[in-house]
Amino acid sequence: MPGKRDRHIDSFGETCISCGACVGICPLNCIYLDEWRIGFDEDVCTRCGICVRACPVGAITIA
Amino acid sequence: MEDISCDVLVVGAGPAGSMTAKWAARHGAQVVMLEKRQEIGSPVRCGEGISKSWLPEVGITPSPRWINVEVEGARIFSPSEKVMEINEKHAGNEVGYVVERDAFDKALAIDAANAGTTILLKTHATGVLKEDGKVRGVRAKHFGEPFTIRAKVTVGADGFESQMGRWAGLPTNLQLRDMDSCLQYRMTNVDCDARYCDFYLGKVAPGGYVWIFPKGEGIANVGIGVQVSQVKSAAEVKSYLDRWIQKHPGYAKGKTIDMVGGGVSISQPVKQSVLPGFLLVGDAARMIDPLTGGGIANGCIAGKIAGEVAARAVQSGDASLEALLEYDRRWRQALEEKLLRNWIAKEKLVSLPDATFDKIIDALSGVKLEKLSVLNILKAVRDKYPEVTQEFEAFL
Repeated sequence: MPGKRDRHIDSFGETCISCGACVGICPLNCIYLDEWRIGFDEDVCTRCGICVRACPVGAITIA
Repeated sequence: MEDISCDVLVVGAGPAGSMTAKWAARHGAQVVMLEKRQEIGSPVRCGEGISKSWLPEVGITPSPRWINVEVEGARIFSPSEKVMEINEKHAGNEVGYVVERDAFDKALAIDAANAGTTILLKTHATGVLKEDGKVRGVRAKHFGEPFTIRAKVTVGADGFESQMGRWAGLPTNLQLRDMDSCLQYRMTNVDCDARYCDFYLGKVAPGGYVWIFPKGEGIANVGIGVQVSQVKSAAEVKSYLDRWIQKHPGYAKGKTIDMVGGGVSISQPVKQSVLPGFLLVGDAARMIDPLTGGGIANGCIAGKIAGEVAARAVQSGDASLEALLEYDRRWRQALEEKLLRNWIAKEKLVSLPDATFDKIIDALSGVKLEKLSVLNILKAVRDKYPEVTQEFEAFL
């Protein structure tokens, strides 16, 4: 069973509507919404998956 | 971009930010307001329903430039679609106008600009400047070019997805149960009643509701909020909304012309909204009404107070924690009692089974409430379904 560290956020793929729901819930403040695009700090992210549930359109996948 | 300095720096040009900027400038402060996007108010991420009662106290004059529809009331639908109607006089935060939110935000920014605020578009904060335990401004990028802005008072008005508070050192973290994940379609060719804002409760939207806010001419905002702790799989929020629309022929025949999403906090407000040289305001300070999900009124009311307190701090040369706590005290006086009451009500509602929603709405649909208060609601429900209100006997 892979540990959390081995998982990664695949993408905020084509489904992303740049709404920022994931930004507000991220417990580590590592997701950001710059002018239009969602991004995240890979070094800070613990792959906790909270953002996956907060996303209304299922744009975030953790593999 | 050269480094700049100012008296009051406001990060975010939503309603709370523009209000803060306007009132700080009116009280003589030199104000700079940042907006990360190229256009204030766009893209809209909002249901666009607001009440009217609070507008005069914060100095907003209703304008046809941003009012779509003036509604008469709200209708609340139980899971079996029994209806309770609340007229405008008794309705809470969400009834009054359905607004064109981008035009509304621009109107407030124009007020701020007319009061003397400098507005920088395409400028986003990337971090907070801190010296000797005091917030002294931000690092930012303007058209991608890094620079710093120094300020005597810095205000975080950066909305639900606020980073300013956490950068400055105020905990604004939310648990899964403290947030609704929202999605809304603007639909045309739908059969909505333009006299009402409609709300659908129960399992159709666990821990939230489905809303229909009319925009006129057969157009409506059809949206949903679902408590994140009740979301079980990815994209479930969209599935809930699509399912609701499919079950309602008057909406299933409509066409979607716009789609927006976003988060809404349904928590209590932040425990601390002030640091030396720093204020947090609006959605960023978790001032959203946890029952209705409305954030505009509270953000504007707190924004006016923030602007006044920030300007006074500049004038007196004292932006210490003690001086700025005046802001914390005053917004809590204005908002906290209702926020707490509605949080308690929300905590109860998110756990109710559909059958209980049906009983409550059924009991209330038949009575004309003089005043919409928790006590009056409980009494009306008790008369018809005493078992529902058993645990509230102490209040009655």
